[in-house]
Amino acid sequence: MLEGAEFYFNVDHGYLEGLVRGCKASLLTQQDYINLVQCETLEDVKIHLQTTDYGNFLANQTNPLTVSKIDTEMRKKLCREFEYFRNHSLEPLSTFFTYMTCSYMIDNVILLMNGALQKKSVKEILVKCHPLGRFTEMEAVNIAETPSDLFNAVLVETPLAPFFQDCMSENTLDELNIELLRNKLYKSYLEAFYKFCKNHGDVTAEIMCPILEFEADRRAFIITLNSFGTELSKDDRETLYPTCGKLYPEGLRLLAQAEDFDQMKRVADHYGVYKPLFEAVGDGSGGKTLEDVFYEREVQMNVLAFNRQFHYGVFYAYTKLKEQEMRNIVWIAECISQRHRTKINSYIPIL
Amino acid sequence: MGSLFRSETMCLAQLFLQSGTAYECLSALGEKGLVQFRDLNQNVSSFQRKFVGEVKRCEELERILAYLVQEINRADIPLPEGETSPPAPPLKQVLEMQEQLQKLEVELREVTKNKEKLRKNLLELIEYTHMLRVTKTFVKRNVEFEPTYEEFPPLENDSLLDYSCMQRLGAKLGFVSGLINQGKVEAFEKMLWRVCKGYTIVTYAELDEPLEDPETGEVIKWYVFLISFWGEQIGHKVKKICDCYHCHVYPYPNTAEERKEIQEGLNTRIQDLYTVLHKTEDYLRQVLCKAAESVYSHVIQVKKMKAIYHMLNMCSFDVTNKCLIAEVWCPEADLHELRRALEEGSRESGATIPSFMNTIPTKETPPTLIRTNKFTEGFQNIVDAYGVGSYREVNPALFTIITFPFLFAVMFGDFGHGFVMFLFALLLVLNENHPRLNQSQEIMRMFFNGRYILLLMGLFSVYTGLIYNDCFSKSVNLFGSGWSVSAMYSSSHTPAEQKKMGLWNDSVVRHNRVLQLDPSIPGVFQGPYPLGIDPIWNLATNRLTFLNSFKMKMSVILGIIHMTFGVILGIFNHLHFRKKFNIYLVSVPELLFMLCIFGYLIFMIVYKWLVYSAETSRVAPSILIEFINMFLFPASETNGLYSGQEHVQRLLLAVAALAVPVLFLGKPLFLLWLHNGRSCFGVSRSGYTLVRKDSEEEVSLLGSQDIEEGNNQIEDGYREMMCEEFNFGEILMTQVIHSIEYCLGCISNTASYLRLWALSLAHAQLSDVLWTMLVRVGLRVDTTYGVLLLLPVIALFAVLTIFILLIMEGLSAFLHAIRLHWVEFQNKFYVGAGTKFVPFSFRLLSSKFSDDVA
Repeated sequence: MLEGAEFYFNVDHGYLEGLVRGCKASLLTQQDYINLVQCETLEDVKIHLQTTDYGNFLANQTNPLTVSKIDTEMRKKLCREFEYFRNHSLEPLSTFFTYMTCSYMIDNVILLMNGALQKKSVKEILVKCHPLGRFTEMEAVNIAETPSDLFNAVLVETPLAPFFQDCMSENTLDELNIELLRNKLYKSYLEAFYKFCKNHGDVTAEIMCPILEFEADRRAFIITLNSFGTELSKDDRETLYPTCGKLYPEGLRLLAQAEDFDQMKRVADHYGVYKPLFEAVGDGSGGKTLEDVFYEREVQMNVLAFNRQFHYGVFYAYTKLKEQEMRNIVWIAECISQRHRTKINSYIPIL
Repeated sequence: MGSLFRSETMCLAQLFLQSGTAYECLSALGEKGLVQFRDLNQNVSSFQRKFVGEVKRCEELERILAYLVQEINRADIPLPEGETSPPAPPLKQVLEMQEQLQKLEVELREVTKNKEKLRKNLLELIEYTHMLRVTKTFVKRNVEFEPTYEEFPPLENDSLLDYSCMQRLGAKLGFVSGLINQGKVEAFEKMLWRVCKGYTIVTYAELDEPLEDPETGEVIKWYVFLISFWGEQIGHKVKKICDCYHCHVYPYPNTAEERKEIQEGLNTRIQDLYTVLHKTEDYLRQVLCKAAESVYSHVIQVKKMKAIYHMLNMCSFDVTNKCLIAEVWCPEADLHELRRALEEGSRESGATIPSFMNTIPTKETPPTLIRTNKFTEGFQNIVDAYGVGSYREVNPALFTIITFPFLFAVMFGDFGHGFVMFLFALLLVLNENHPRLNQSQEIMRMFFNGRYILLLMGLFSVYTGLIYNDCFSKSVNLFGSGWSVSAMYSSSHTPAEQKKMGLWNDSVVRHNRVLQLDPSIPGVFQGPYPLGIDPIWNLATNRLTFLNSFKMKMSVILGIIHMTFGVILGIFNHLHFRKKFNIYLVSVPELLFMLCIFGYLIFMIVYKWLVYSAETSRVAPSILIEFINMFLFPASETNGLYSGQEHVQRLLLAVAALAVPVLFLGKPLFLLWLHNGRSCFGVSRSGYTLVRKDSEEEVSLLGSQDIEEGNNQIEDGYREMMCEEFNFGEILMTQVIHSIEYCLGCISNTASYLRLWALSLAHAQLSDVLWTMLVRVGLRVDTTYGVLLLLPVIALFAVLTIFILLIMEGLSAFLHAIRLHWVEFQNKFYVGAGTKFVPFSFRLLSSKFSDDVA
């Protein structure tokens, strides 16, 4: 890319950036959340959402309303917006969009394989797949029995193909191997995406690299946390860590040696960014979970992405923010429908 | 002055609606569109309001109706739109309507579902027949070059051509056949190859006619394929891949007889399905036709009902829950109408206790209502686009009716162009009831809405065109020029005299390219032309100099008059709002400042026009120099316009200079004095205010219902007022800013009015260029070819005149006229901080189908 991308950016991507900024303005506000929390039934939620930018997206749903219906419709709406962006994008933004969908594609593939393992029908699981990560070959995933099979037969022509370099093996796909496969795929995906953004340079790199670094480190933490008390060896664990984060390389080595949460926390203490996050985690009963803290941090970074202009990060940030908003709405709706109001306030506000 | 001068007086009224009759009353009010409701439940979120259930029911009805409309549109049944809009349905009918609609919906859904199912069946059968037909040709070919099977024992290989052998082989050799979407063929084949590692043979052929997809209803191209494979395992994989690519797989017949049988069976079933489908469709059409008759009125009715409940949601309940209390803004003139509407509503519902209303005094600012008619509407829109007027403020729209077209015309002054514009507007005005014009889109709509503005603009342009004596850039000699060229040849003088006076003779005429007429010679200038500019100027080389001087002076004069008028309108505002001190401390200094400087400039211009004649013109001083000297006090004496000029100018300048500090400090100091004065004089004054406060309280208590709340409100209001007066710094700041803006504005705004001159000049020049470049060229060619040439030339001239001079120039003049009104005129007096009165009226609901489908 030439110096001073701001001179050329608008020629190709100005329209979409304007559009995405407009979309961002339609995110629910604090006041909306306060009102949503007060709702008594899902019908109330529907009525309140009608006054926001969601409009009457639920108007054609017959009664009774369920949380999953709301969720599907919201996903559809996001997907429509995303498809619009994608269809109107030019290179290299369209590659950027492809990278964005890859994470959903990985999730979908893993979901389908897990489903096949549990002998569920493909149709049943297809409904649960994220619409952003949908692709034609997806449904044939259960033909494969080993990762290399999967690569050779099904995914070789999809954007996921390059991520398979590290995980070609002849192991049969049992539950653990699928999980390993997911993490390995995700690792190479994140690294590739990071490299793409880095090579792109300019503001895009300045915005996207920290976000992806954070994402990589978050995965490293979560993998560590989830691997406590499982048969996963420490060496194996280390191979799963994405190496594009701030933790690389010392932090990851230390993390690989960690044996419980406190040791993990000690690793995080070396890093100014993660120390406050781990301090914010509440103990056991009350307080926030590590996951929530990470989500909050992510939201914060994504909101900040909108402070700069002429970069692709806004699209990524918008999608992530919208996802967070959907998670919030689903959380609130679940709380309402299960009459479990005590925890209704632990959604993650979007600033 | 009528209602256009100020907005109408409003009053806040409280409506007591008996809960049984509230719906009918609001329906009556909605039909009349008299009042604007205030939201009394602002801090209640939308789903906690009283009538949310009813609103939900309306939404449910709307959903059903949208579904009906969608189905009706899909069946291509025309939707009749009624001319009259039916009233909101009485409550008793609503249930009935709902039941009826729900029943209809259920029925419709069932029938359409059946129909879809039948259609799907039919499409699948059709696909199957197509597949059978196409694959028949495959098998032979398939079998003929089948290299894969060469590794089989030769015994079997021989008999492969035979179907009965195939059957034996069938345990191992399998076929999957079906249809696949055209776009997916390539990927499908690739995947098959990769997964089955080549142990399959795929044959496919394009289907010659596109078929509908049974699932999505899209008409697309299909491929028929036949996969032959060997082995159980691969068969599973193949089937999975077929699922993945959404192929339509149909059983493949193994023998020719079977194939024939299936085909025959299919044909009869297709026949049956066709008849059944036809009958279903007929029935569906009948149902839809019946629904289409009433759907329009239902849509309108539901919309009205929903609107009523939205309004009811804004009302609060009184303590006993027996009646609803609504607060509305209503124009005072319409109060009796409001009462009548309430009575009507009560009577309709047959309630024993009628709903009633009373007015309550309020300190809140009411919304602004200015009633307009089709003529004044356009002008009001121009003003409203800047800002809706504050309540009871002088409304500039009244004056805009004349000043706007006039200032436009000053810039657009051309008799011909104005007349064309006038004709166009007249056409629009005469045909304003034509339905096509009413429904026109975008640009045409813009012209249509501004037709009366255009009409006046055209008329005024004709007038200014006459004054400028411009008709398509040519002057018209109506009354005969006041100048005589022959007088320059006057022979009654001696040659010496002739020389002295600069008279012409043959040698002068022959040797000079440019000749000058001298008005001081008797007989040359016989007096001014009766109307506008003398046409002889059209021939003069110094025409532009002359017109520039004239137009520039005219612009300044018009501008200063316009602005002074604005300041004077401010006085009307101060009088009406009972702020007399503003007149003495703001308006009068403003006027003095303006008139002493720029009023004097006008005086000088007019004085110079009147006093200096052709003979004395050589000694006339320049106004510009004189005006600058007024501020510079030059040491060297100039001869000046009149004696004692210097003293007059010093006096005026002193007055203007004195007006400035008054403007800056007068109002803030006066307010400070008022505030201090009250506390200084102590007992007597505070006693007086106390009495007043009490009486004020009493007045407001009379109206408001709950005493405590009212009291608090008034206390609050009073404290606020006090607080405002205390804040001296803020008042000073506002006034200083305002004054600086005004003083600098006087200069810059006067200069801004020079755009009148500039645009009028540009317009004249542009039309002149058009004339010389086109028509003159056409006229110069000799007669025989000229006739042929003139036709396209004139056509081009007409087109360019319309697009460049009328539309483009017209738009630019329009914009500048708007700017002169918004900025230069209105900032002298217009606040424009009001809110528009938006009555609750059913007429504002759209009565189109397109809205609810989208």
